Amino acid sequence: MKRITSILNIRMCLVIFCMGTLLASCTKKYEEINTDRNSIATVGAAELPFLFAKAEQASIPSIWTYQVAQNLFADQYAQYFACTATYFPSDRNVIRMDWVGAAFNPIYTDMVPQLQTIFDAADKTSPEYAIANIIWVNGFHKVTDYWGPIPYSQAGIPGNSVAYDPQDQIYDDFFKRLTDAVNTLKTATGPSTYGSYDIIYGGNVGKWIKFANTLRLRLAMRISKVDPARAKTEAEAAYAAGVMTTSPDDDALIKKSTAGDDNNGLSIMSDWNEFRMSAAMESVMVGYQDPRISEYWLPDGATKDNPGGNGKYDGLRNGLTSTQLTQSQNSATSNAKAGKRWSSPDFGGNVDYLSTPQNVMCAAEAYFLRAEGALLGWNMGGTAQELYNAGITNSMKQWGIADAVAINAYINSGNVPIAPNDFLGSPPVSDAPIKFAADQATQLKQIAIQKWLALFPDGYEAWADYRRARTFILYPVANSDNPDITNTSTQWIRRIPFLDAEKLSNKSAVEAAVNLLGSGGDKVTTPLWWDKN
Amino acid sequence: MLKIKHLLQIVLLLCGTVAMAQERTVTGTVRNSANAPVAGVTVAQKGTTNATVTNESGTFTLRVPGTSTVLVFSSVGFATQEMIVAAGTTTLDIALSDDTKQLGEVVVTALGISRQAKTLVYAAQTVKPAELTEARDANNVLNSLQGKVANALITQGSGGPGSGARIVLRGNRSLQQSNNALIVVDGVPFSNGTNGTGTSDFGSIQGSDGASNINPDDIESMTILRGASAAALYGSQAGNGVIVITTKKGRKDRLSVSLNSGISMESAFALPKVQNSYGQGNGNTLRTDTVAYVGDSWGPKMEGQSYINAMGNQSTYSAQPDNIKDFFRKGISVNNSISVNGGNEKMQGYLSYTNNSVQGIIRGNDLMRHTINVRLTNQISKRFSTDAKITYVAQQIDNRPRTGEENSPVSDIYQIPRNMSTAEAKQYESLNSLDIPVPTAWPSTLSSIYQNPYWIINRTAINETRDRVVGFLNAKFNITPWLSISGRGNLDKIYDVGESIVSQGTILWSKSGGDYQKSNIIVTEKWFDLILEGNNKITNDLKITYRVGAIHQDSKWDATYSNSGGLNVTNKFSLGFAKAPSLTSQFTEVQTQAVFGQINLSFKDAIYLDASLRNDWDSRLPSPYSYQYPSIGVSAILSQLLTLPTSLSFLKASVNYAQVGNGGKPQLLNTVYNYSQGAGNGYLQRSATLPIPGLKPEIVKNLEFGVEARFINNRIGFTATYYKSNSFNQLLQIQLPAASGYANKYINAGNIQNAGFELVVNGTAITNKDFSWDVTFNLATNKNTVKELSDDIKTVYLGGGFGRSGTPVVQEGQSYGDLLAFKWATDAKGNRIVTDAGKPVATQDQQFIGNFNPKATIGLTNTFAYKGFSLRLLIDGRAGGTMISGTEMNLAFSGIPEVTDKYREGGWNLGGVNASGAPVSATITAQDFWQIASGKRYGNGEFFAYDATNFRVRELTVGYSIPLKSTVFVKAVKFNIVARNLFWIYRGKSKMDIPGIGKRTMWFDPDMSLGNANFQGVEYGALPATRTIGANLQVTF
Repeated sequence: MKRITSILNIRMCLVIFCMGTLLASCTKKYEEINTDRNSIATVGAAELPFLFAKAEQASIPSIWTYQVAQNLFADQYAQYFACTATYFPSDRNVIRMDWVGAAFNPIYTDMVPQLQTIFDAADKTSPEYAIANIIWVNGFHKVTDYWGPIPYSQAGIPGNSVAYDPQDQIYDDFFKRLTDAVNTLKTATGPSTYGSYDIIYGGNVGKWIKFANTLRLRLAMRISKVDPARAKTEAEAAYAAGVMTTSPDDDALIKKSTAGDDNNGLSIMSDWNEFRMSAAMESVMVGYQDPRISEYWLPDGATKDNPGGNGKYDGLRNGLTSTQLTQSQNSATSNAKAGKRWSSPDFGGNVDYLSTPQNVMCAAEAYFLRAEGALLGWNMGGTAQELYNAGITNSMKQWGIADAVAINAYINSGNVPIAPNDFLGSPPVSDAPIKFAADQATQLKQIAIQKWLALFPDGYEAWADYRRARTFILYPVANSDNPDITNTSTQWIRRIPFLDAEKLSNKSAVEAAVNLLGSGGDKVTTPLWWDKN
Repeated sequence: MLKIKHLLQIVLLLCGTVAMAQERTVTGTVRNSANAPVAGVTVAQKGTTNATVTNESGTFTLRVPGTSTVLVFSSVGFATQEMIVAAGTTTLDIALSDDTKQLGEVVVTALGISRQAKTLVYAAQTVKPAELTEARDANNVLNSLQGKVANALITQGSGGPGSGARIVLRGNRSLQQSNNALIVVDGVPFSNGTNGTGTSDFGSIQGSDGASNINPDDIESMTILRGASAAALYGSQAGNGVIVITTKKGRKDRLSVSLNSGISMESAFALPKVQNSYGQGNGNTLRTDTVAYVGDSWGPKMEGQSYINAMGNQSTYSAQPDNIKDFFRKGISVNNSISVNGGNEKMQGYLSYTNNSVQGIIRGNDLMRHTINVRLTNQISKRFSTDAKITYVAQQIDNRPRTGEENSPVSDIYQIPRNMSTAEAKQYESLNSLDIPVPTAWPSTLSSIYQNPYWIINRTAINETRDRVVGFLNAKFNITPWLSISGRGNLDKIYDVGESIVSQGTILWSKSGGDYQKSNIIVTEKWFDLILEGNNKITNDLKITYRVGAIHQDSKWDATYSNSGGLNVTNKFSLGFAKAPSLTSQFTEVQTQAVFGQINLSFKDAIYLDASLRNDWDSRLPSPYSYQYPSIGVSAILSQLLTLPTSLSFLKASVNYAQVGNGGKPQLLNTVYNYSQGAGNGYLQRSATLPIPGLKPEIVKNLEFGVEARFINNRIGFTATYYKSNSFNQLLQIQLPAASGYANKYINAGNIQNAGFELVVNGTAITNKDFSWDVTFNLATNKNTVKELSDDIKTVYLGGGFGRSGTPVVQEGQSYGDLLAFKWATDAKGNRIVTDAGKPVATQDQQFIGNFNPKATIGLTNTFAYKGFSLRLLIDGRAGGTMISGTEMNLAFSGIPEVTDKYREGGWNLGGVNASGAPVSATITAQDFWQIASGKRYGNGEFFAYDATNFRVRELTVGYSIPLKSTVFVKAVKFNIVARNLFWIYRGKSKMDIPGIGKRTMWFDPDMSLGNANFQGVEYGALPATRTIGANLQVTF
């Protein structure tokens, strides 16, 4: 018996061995089998322009992130829109922690890896390297202006922890990158090789120079209270190197498409009827009889068959409770909807509303930055009033209003914001007229109001500028469900708390970052480094 | 060349041991399991007409060839048994076992190997085909197993006919991959993927699975192997247990024809309980001077007032108690099958055609399936035989309803105001000047998502067409009477075409002109095996069976998704009208090659030892791709070894240990860049998942002890099993700090343990000539412990991450499937916190409220037979487990559930304390309370969590077989009346005892799930469970 079993064992081993050797030779194709033929394993020169396009797209909120990165946060805090959905608490100062990642993650996972691949591959003196750095700053300044300290210098380095940097150091790097980029671009001899892959400027180096300088001017103004000297230096250098001057030629708009998941983010969500014109917008635009109102908004109850609706533009206060929102006066149909560019034909909007280009930065803003700089005593190449008026003119042109007589009448109008006749019976949001005033306090307010109007619908920049300046004061949020904000007249959202996901996966780095915030801690009420109000 | 030489040598070596011999006479005695001689047993030499019958003392004599021969013993009342008579053997003792008992049953185990149940070293349970074909569940054959298999948790997918089901044996073990049992048909794994399922409470389309294509009429036997031991030879997904199905093949009888016709009616039976006192409006008022557009039912009492409805017409404000029920129709399903079966010694054939026509309870949701099955078995020569089959399935499913809340007709109809009549709701559209349908105004609780459900079912559609071909060719060559070699090739090919239609005017996802999407998915599964099988008698007492084999398996998944991006001609649903067409394409391939060896030793036909070893080469792993896993098990039939009291007729004990490996997921080893369409020339971006170059296989380790005993001449018996399984090295996708440039990475980590106990009792309470009463009972418990996750990660979300009604998670030290939800906040003393105004305060974060798994499951089948009549009654249920009703959470905000009709006029004092601990005595209204508790879509799950314990009458079958003389042309006629989901015996209560309201009884069926993936424990707009009543006729010619 022992003999038989041992023979059996030997036989079995032999068979297994034979089959094994047969099979082992069949694993030659395993690497090929396990490769995804619908993706690319290594990228070369031919692929870099596609990476650049992705970085551009990801540097601002797009499609599905638009709502939870921007609309339910900055757009409400800037009081462009008020929430009409009963089930979103965000307009009552509540931070939905499951949403805030949308403004954070795509920068790191969708923008940074593509830019780093370009940094590694491109010649450091090439326009491509320089433009990639401009996109880097464009993406990151939005993130740091939401949170303050963010992972920055170590961003994109794979690992289980990524350190956060203090905001002043991040801003310092922004200025350096923009200065270097402009210096590089000024030596460029032709258009960038990105060409048609560049979905903002089509590879036009001259426009990128203006963009970089305007962004530098914007960031300089941001630090004007915390570091006035550096602000002045950077602003004057930016102006001297050439900022945007002409709308719409210089305006930076990013292309959107109906192909793929690349629709305009505001358009895709506007038909959901979850937000409408804010009372602040109504107070200013109706009061000013602003010709841009029909570009920004569709009248109450507009439909395909009745695009004029009831002919009125009504807004509602930010922060209404769900019970207040179920009142007919506060319903979506009783208030003004986002304009024709962002609404479907069902509501009287444009047929191509889903591919409306998205504003990145426009010439009008450069003038308002210069106007305010002039008041601060910076050399901005003009008086505050000249620059203020030019800002209004360029904003009108940006939205297709070319009638010089009408623009001139507007600039010289004494119209002031009105009481919006809303559910809460609110007073006018401000008393500042359009026509440039004589006193500096009113002038600052006027510049802020006009910049706020001109930046629409970029809530990101409008909210950041509002927190910095606080010359023009928006309505207090009607109700606060955030326990950290008990008095909405004296407290407002000043930053976004760190992500829950970061606290789980990047714990020690977040703890160190909280210390950077100082005594206020990781709260919505803690001012950022540049916020001195 | 060298290899071939080696193989030849082995074959020659093996052939050399064949003994040449003359004819011989075999004598033997046949006894029953009580050891009494049995007369009248037919003893036949297999494959010949050479046969005899046992005499009164159970003995027989038969001349057989001198070589190893197979004898077949058959007799009425006993299980047919085959026995190999080795060369040289002349005397035999045979024990036959009772046919109605599992004991003597031959069960089909891994690789299609038939074995006697008593020789197994692991737990196996069989389900009779009649239990699948009589009281059938028209949607998916897996649903018919409910209550019949110990420790199987079956969750029905809520996508209507054909939707994927979830069957989990012995608890969940995989965190991010499937926990579904492997399905093996005719020895080969059967592709059972699902194209899309719900992974969050936003909902989705619950796609078809592979199992729903299995035609119950073609099933010959079904064995459930719960542990991994039986399954070690399948590798990969066998760690979740295996359902072994063999299909019918031709017999050497004369030609016979069977017909099976059934019809059943299905109706919704677990609809939400709604209030019918208060209608549309807010704060107890409804403005009657203007159009009532508010969808919430917080208005005044409905007393026949006059008001202007949403469409602008005068209407009467009165209760419409049936406006939800009216939306659902009676589903009717019809199945017809015909099979032809016959053959001679050389060739046997089986041919069947089955037609299933199923109407779901949502209008327009229909399934039509044709199944054609051809099986041919050939004995080409004495030594060479073949077996071949082709099955073709053509299936069309129209208008599959979405689950969850987005474009889900179920969520939409539940939101209907309590005063809106069905007739009003049916006016869902009007035509504009271009004759294009435009949705009429709908009083929506939420105008951004919810739409008139009649619009949804008429103006949006999800359709699916499937063509599936499964075929195999199996050839076997008997080298010697005791050694054979067999090879098999199996192909399973699925072509799925899916389409999504969204008419212009639909709130969600309608683009300009409407939208059309199409998907083409091709699944190809190839399987080849080569097995050398032998058996020898080493001594009179010691027998050995052994197998060595090699398996080559290749799976391809090739998908193309086309999206119209709007339609140039409005509502013309074809890619030909696409406004901005875009395409995405996905492809994966996995190849596994394996060699294995297996031995079964039998000592004195009383002690059995099984052992196996398998080595895999898996294309998903890094080079050298290889890993192996063993299994070993022992069983002893103590009743044959020891002298036991006569009342104990059979006693067996077994123990086994097994490992199963799994190669993980394809394409994880390297960084890749993916293209997406968009502005300009489109985009390329690096994948946000960090590659794992050192990917390791997952390993599941199983230990199992079993005892099987039978008493009083096998009249009653039980099988008891204890098991423990640990799942190691799980492939987990964990989050990285996004700042690292990668959103997540894969790691191999963890130790998930499931341990439990199973008891299956079979008994005959009464048996005599005309009447019998059989009882089958199963009880199982499972305890899951997450022993370890990883150093980096202590919590893993199941499914789509944060859930708005509740989040199912796996946390280290806890159990798989804990549910986290926002709760009613309490202070340190446990007092509920309210605001000074008396409104409840919710917690700041989601906290533990329960676990979705049951603690125990039971099934009890009573079968009565009286002459030609039979009655079978199945009661089943589960104890424990928590489920959150997202549906109720959502509806409570809008004043729709029955419970919201209390305290409408105020005066509700919840008690409780304020944040500083001072008692509060303030009154609020129902609207105050429920809108805070609910938050509509973002709510506090604890208020809507239920104990999912329930017991019900699952199946009732009443049958009559018409007695027929054997000379009649018709051989058998059986008529059944069947019913499923008859009524509840017990249902769990809500977890929360709300002051002034108390606990509510669970209104939904926890068996219905959002999807068949790991996101469980939350119900949200799921299709209501149904009650089925039907009739079934079987005729055999």
